[in-house]
Amino acid sequence: MRDEIQEIIETSDVALFMKGTPQFVMCGNSQRALEALRRAGAPVTAVDILPDPRIRQELSELSGWPTIPQVFVRGELIGGADIVEELERSGQLEQTLREKLGEEFHSNEQVVAVS
Amino acid sequence: MKDQRFDRSFQTDSRAEPASPEVGADKRRLGLAELLQAAFPGGVVSVEDRTGGGDHFQVIVVSPRFDGLSLVEQHRLVYEALAAPLADGTIHELRISTKGTQ
Repeated sequence: MRDEIQEIIETSDVALFMKGTPQFVMCGNSQRALEALRRAGAPVTAVDILPDPRIRQELSELSGWPTIPQVFVRGELIGGADIVEELERSGQLEQTLREKLGEEFHSNEQVVAVS
Repeated sequence: MKDQRFDRSFQTDSRAEPASPEVGADKRRLGLAELLQAAFPGGVVSVEDRTGGGDHFQVIVVSPRFDGLSLVEQHRLVYEALAAPLADGTIHELRISTKGTQ
């Protein structure tokens, strides 16, 4: 499972580990992170951590970050809901996305499952 | 008359018990503030109980320890300071705002 999570982090443009899915968000902080990413036009790969408690455990051991949500851009931890909101407000989130993904990134949402 | 007085004082005592939710919630809030003050000496620390239930907190820390660090590194220091209440479930939800002094 850890390898699977690691692979999602490393291969996704933007990975969002959240409670629920973008279509059915189960937590206010996950909602805040998702909305900030949407405002920045990010291509989001969402992973629901709720189906199995081991997902969150493995993720936090990998990232050293204790809370959900967690946002990664091309393998790098950007932060949780507070940081992502703060970066979006200041315009830095879009700037980071441009730097890491190139000028031509497009908003998109897909969900992948971890088993 | 005497019975009534006894009843009243009993009620008062029961409201003042430390186990009442409000008192417990504020104790937890102050406990977090203490941990943060110890971790960020000379910093400005604020802890707000967002719901009054004593488990959803907004913390604000301004400290020279954050100078030159990324937001991820700054928040990691706050998580480190609050590792115990995060691990034992005292904190159900945590919002963090950090700032350096430069």
